[in-house]
Amino acid sequence: MDEIFGAPGQLLASTIRNATPLVFAALGGMFSERSGVVNIGLEGLMLISAFAGVVGAFLSGSAVVALAFALAAGLVFALIHALMCVTFEADQIISGTAINLLALGGTGFLMVSVFGAGGTSPRVEGFGEVPIPLLSSIPVVGPALFSQSVLVYLMYVMVPATFFVLFRTPFGLRLRATGESPEAVDTAGISVGRMRYYGVALSGLLASLGGIYLSMGILSAFTENMTNGRGFIALAALIFGRWNPIGAAGAALLFGFALAVTFSAPQEAIPNEFLQMIPYVLTIVALAAFGGRAIAPAAIGKPYRKE
Amino acid sequence: MSSRLRRALVDAGGALVFPLIAIVLSFVLGAFIVLATGNNPLTAYAALVRGAVGSPTAIGRTLLGATPLIFTGLAVAVAFRAGLFNIGGEGQLYIGAITAAWLGVTLGFLGALSIPIVLLACVVTGFLWGAIPGILKARFGAHEVITTIMLNYIGIYLTTYLALKPLRTEGLVPGTDAIDFAARIPFIGLGLGRANYGFLLALVAAVVAYLLLWRTRRGFQIRAVGLSPGAANYAGMGIGANTVLALAIGGAFAAIGGGVEVLGVYGKMTVPFVTGLGFNGIGVALLGRNHPAGVVLGALLFGGLASGAQEMQFSTDVPLQLTSVLLAVILLLVTATKLVELLFGKRARALAGARLEKGLG
Amino acid sequence: MTEERTRGGTAGVEAPVVLEMRGVTKAFGPVKANDGVSITLGRGEILGLLGENGAGKSTLMKILYGLYSPDEGEVFVDGERAEIRDPKDAVSRGIGMVHQHFTLIPALTVAENIVLGAEPRKGVSLDLAKAIKDTEELSERYGLRVDPRTRVADLSVGAQQRVEILKALYRKARILVLDEPTAVLTPQETEDLFSVLKELVADGLSIILITHKLGELLGISNRITIIRDGKVVETVEASGTDEGALARLMVGREVLLRVEKTEAKVGGPRLSAEGLVVLSGAGAKAVDGIGLEVRGGEILGIAGVDGNGQTELAEALAGTRPAESGLVRLDGEDVTRVGANGRQGRGLAYVPEDRGAKGLVQDFSLSENNALKTYDEAPFSKWGWIFPKAMRRRAAEALRAYDVRPPDPDARAGSLSGGNQQKAVLARELSGDPGVIIAAQPTRGVDVGAIEFIHRQLLEQRARGKAILLISLELEEVRSLSDRVAVIYDGRIVGEVGPDATDEELGLLMAGRTGGEKDA
Repeated sequence: MDEIFGAPGQLLASTIRNATPLVFAALGGMFSERSGVVNIGLEGLMLISAFAGVVGAFLSGSAVVALAFALAAGLVFALIHALMCVTFEADQIISGTAINLLALGGTGFLMVSVFGAGGTSPRVEGFGEVPIPLLSSIPVVGPALFSQSVLVYLMYVMVPATFFVLFRTPFGLRLRATGESPEAVDTAGISVGRMRYYGVALSGLLASLGGIYLSMGILSAFTENMTNGRGFIALAALIFGRWNPIGAAGAALLFGFALAVTFSAPQEAIPNEFLQMIPYVLTIVALAAFGGRAIAPAAIGKPYRKE
Repeated sequence: MSSRLRRALVDAGGALVFPLIAIVLSFVLGAFIVLATGNNPLTAYAALVRGAVGSPTAIGRTLLGATPLIFTGLAVAVAFRAGLFNIGGEGQLYIGAITAAWLGVTLGFLGALSIPIVLLACVVTGFLWGAIPGILKARFGAHEVITTIMLNYIGIYLTTYLALKPLRTEGLVPGTDAIDFAARIPFIGLGLGRANYGFLLALVAAVVAYLLLWRTRRGFQIRAVGLSPGAANYAGMGIGANTVLALAIGGAFAAIGGGVEVLGVYGKMTVPFVTGLGFNGIGVALLGRNHPAGVVLGALLFGGLASGAQEMQFSTDVPLQLTSVLLAVILLLVTATKLVELLFGKRARALAGARLEKGLG
Repeated sequence: MTEERTRGGTAGVEAPVVLEMRGVTKAFGPVKANDGVSITLGRGEILGLLGENGAGKSTLMKILYGLYSPDEGEVFVDGERAEIRDPKDAVSRGIGMVHQHFTLIPALTVAENIVLGAEPRKGVSLDLAKAIKDTEELSERYGLRVDPRTRVADLSVGAQQRVEILKALYRKARILVLDEPTAVLTPQETEDLFSVLKELVADGLSIILITHKLGELLGISNRITIIRDGKVVETVEASGTDEGALARLMVGREVLLRVEKTEAKVGGPRLSAEGLVVLSGAGAKAVDGIGLEVRGGEILGIAGVDGNGQTELAEALAGTRPAESGLVRLDGEDVTRVGANGRQGRGLAYVPEDRGAKGLVQDFSLSENNALKTYDEAPFSKWGWIFPKAMRRRAAEALRAYDVRPPDPDARAGSLSGGNQQKAVLARELSGDPGVIIAAQPTRGVDVGAIEFIHRQLLEQRARGKAILLISLELEEVRSLSDRVAVIYDGRIVGEVGPDATDEELGLLMAGRTGGEKDA
């Protein structure tokens, strides 16, 4: 099939595959940050879910169970972050860093305990490709867009879904209000703490979808530190996309493209490393151009204390 | 005079109590984890301690692990004092490493004389690299947490490129050429294994950081700006300039750390190069309450745990990643000051110290 | 503690009492913000709540709205006893509040702000169309013109206030409390607001208006309750009183201890301003063309209600805030372009209003704070190094001289009481032997003993021929210390009087009345 549809189709398919975990994580980060809680622990959330999914598949042989494991792991770690930041008023940056460290150490530790050795886990049944009839036959783009894993299709749905939730439901309104002005929300009789827990919990769930796609959608095993900074790229996409779902997804797609290119571009043209820098440079440019301050949720990063 | 000394000791004691409790609690938690894997916590911890300080070679390993962490810890601590989060230690260290890897080879003919020159070069490159997020913040308002994280990756990729292309060695191991032994930081010997005088340099750096912050005009300004931008502004101190300087100085410290790693341990910059030193610097700084003395102690703890973990994994079956888990728990506990308030009351929380409350704007 | 049941409404018909607060007492530490306060509100009535800063008006209304709980006292709504524990309870009882500082979310639209917490739904989703429609209806009905689709950040202050009112109306408020509503409005917007209020009242709502602006109250309210020092002084019919009487009731008190003052030996002008215009953070003219002169050996006091430009005036004179236009002179020299540091070098001392955030670095030691402006000069510094020992020695002297307790140079500034912190600031500012001193709210939050000490210090500086500008919200302080008193209102000096001016004179000036004119 690749021979027939050639390089552009391949590149598109690879872009989609690389972008998917980024989109999930960025959307997750969006819910957390929109409620006012900085979440730089996306990296750790993805990693722990990638691992948990593989463990689930290993123990049960079922993809559904694997998904459940991954979601649970992401949720638990996210709730730790929420507990730290909301209830214990810890510094949100440090808590996120600790989550990353916990995930990294934890997965390494558990690799040995569960699988007996570090490095790469045994292979498990992944989420294979499921071509959508008719759509996948469209020339060039068909297979790239519609002959992917189920999780990719879920990602397509997630983008409009999160937009709907954030901008068209009462919950979304309250969440956004919490991130902008917790005092106003409090005066309106809504619990700031509870909204923030929801926001962070959602970030855990969405990030875990990104994580399980990494380990079981593209490959079929867990490798130590397989996220390798994708959580931070997702954060960058969120910022570059100005904290809204369409922008974040678009930025994630762009960064996914950058990643895809690094894997397939000929070495002589542009050194690989410079291609890999692109998402990060773009984010810095975006921050400098938009002045960071102006577009982040106004009340982000500070614990909320009632009088 | 003696009442000042007494107060200083009380302050230091108060500052240590809380991290110590966090350490103890995390070890207790760790004991449960070890039990869950079917091992004996006592033998595991005994092996841990043995591997950290149980023999001269162990001590040597601990010092080796602690050295770069002192530098990256100082990088974070100095910036914190200005009210800034320097998460860029990783990239800053790499910049220093490539500087040393290249200059060490180029100036190798000078022998031991090249060492101070190379390290000075690291100071310069690290200073410039650290100034970038400083300028981005002072001029554009771009929050340093994000920019320093981004620059980490940019720095890592940049140095990787340099180590693999223009500066590539002809040898088998991917990376730069090896530096002449004469131009490297010598081992201490004394049975301390591969421990080198870089540790002493790290201690000197800690003293320099202390003097800088508490005995110079610039340090006075940095601390004032970090503690109360309003009052500092009212007293005529420039917030922007101090922002840039604090991050630049932090970058310089981390870069020296990278230089010391290359000159003292590896003799070159390999690809991939050692990771995690920058991030662990954050933990070290936090545990050490952003004070140079605390940073040294924290780095020794981290280094000791890393060294001991190997022994622990070797003689028991407990994976060495346990120490990462322990460290993460310590970090979480140290920063959850409200938990202290809930358990011990408001005064205890005040004692636990001021923590940085910064938003993204 | 007299209960007053008065008739409401101008028709003279006995209107039912919709709200009664009885014997409300609330203390914050040793200070009684409300002391046995009782008020009543009739249906269709507009009740004015008049008092100075800190008199207790806002506290009372916050208790009504459930933001505070009273130590003593009861609230009755429509004759029934009401337990109001939080704003939700208040809202469910039909009480709505328009705060002085709006609780709006700038990034969201008007409609979103109004429905937040009580959103209309269509299945799972937010029925934004209905929210907009409901907003438009309310808006029409009461003449509160505002576009539901605009972002609040893009609205004028007057429009934002209309949104705040709509928020309360959307939740079916029958009792509306407005806290200093006209403080941020132009005269035209104030007129618009008052017509809206009349509409609301015609519809059966009852309104409480908190303000310090006498003239407006006379124009709009039925009755006026005057609160002073946490107690109700009197409740009067608006038709049966005038501004003079109100001013007297609002401000008058027995004269407290008058500090012994020597005859003023006044020299030439040392600090002066000409046509000074200073913008506030929001871009409005906080200081609107002020000219003044402070001469050596005298204290010029600036009196006025909080928020009329005093803060910005002090900052512009001290150099920590740039002036938009106009001149500042120090000993004749034009220092308008000179920064705070430069002015300090020319002998200007500044005791800022906000000692916590601007005067002191709370986490620095007293010694470091004492050297906050001089750390880079000898004997504290040489070649970039600083010498803490020298700082400590100098600080120890200064702390003792200014009665700072404890006089320990190593003590953390934040650990001292308010009074001692203020004395520490004074110690630093005055020890440089400045020629001109600007003191803004020098005794705010300070205990009586320290107040006395600080007053004595200021008078001593006056006796030594220094020029002192005293800005204070405490009328007593201004009157007892100053040789001349200028009153600031809406960014301008509206009059200058001697310290023995009557309460009435001062009260009127502070409310913006210059010689009996109606203000535009």
